[in-house]
Amino acid sequence: MPGEIITFSFPSRLELLAVLDKMLEGLSEQLELDEETAAAVTISSIEAATNAIQHGHQRDPSKAVGMEFELERDQIEVRVRDLGPGFDPSLLEDPTDPVNLLRARGRGIHIMRSLMDEVIFEFQNGHGTLVRLRKRLPSHNGTPR
Amino acid sequence: MKIQRHDTDDVAVLRVSGKLMGGPDADAFLSVVRQALADGKRHLLVDLGAVSWINSTGLGILISSYTTVRKHEGLLKLLNVNRRIESILMTTKLNTYFESFQDEERALESFRAA
Repeated sequence: MPGEIITFSFPSRLELLAVLDKMLEGLSEQLELDEETAAAVTISSIEAATNAIQHGHQRDPSKAVGMEFELERDQIEVRVRDLGPGFDPSLLEDPTDPVNLLRARGRGIHIMRSLMDEVIFEFQNGHGTLVRLRKRLPSHNGTPR
Repeated sequence: MKIQRHDTDDVAVLRVSGKLMGGPDADAFLSVVRQALADGKRHLLVDLGAVSWINSTGLGILISSYTTVRKHEGLLKLLNVNRRIESILMTTKLNTYFESFQDEERALESFRAA
């Protein structure tokens, strides 16, 4: 229901991304998200959670990744929190630059930005990162839902 | 993620199903690739027809496989890429490296012509 917040947290283990994926599948059904919105939210949430596990927590399972899902009237917002030191987004290399194309890593944020309407990073003075992923619902993109 | 391997001439066809999203999948996938090369296969055709979506870690798996196959002077091509995965390949510009087919016979023929 609009205004409700669903929270979920899990230890920083990559294999738990499969659990997150299942949870997102159920959540998308519950919220009646269309296929494209569900895919965008799922892929972007998993990208953000992957970064939290690998970069924020260095895969330390004693540290939990926190996630919140909030459905509003016109959009869905996913919030992903970790306890890591953060980073400078302006220093990220462009993964589509020809010299970077065959690197195995470094595309997560680029994919999030391509799938979602807004991707916002908030850093808490080296003591945590909050990523906000926002996706407008189709009825607010000009076509009735 | 599950992988089934079928060999045709010097091409190993890897039929992948599920979601290609890294974690334990990376080691499993690369192990199958290395085994195919060790068995004398030169090229890889990765069938993504039963893969619903892929994330950046999954793309990394495909790139690592691509560079491994290229080191053995082979080619890696994709088969049955759905619209969603094609969109991610385009936005990351990886479609410039991964030749993609919708027809398996035509894909296999392209290896013979290489």
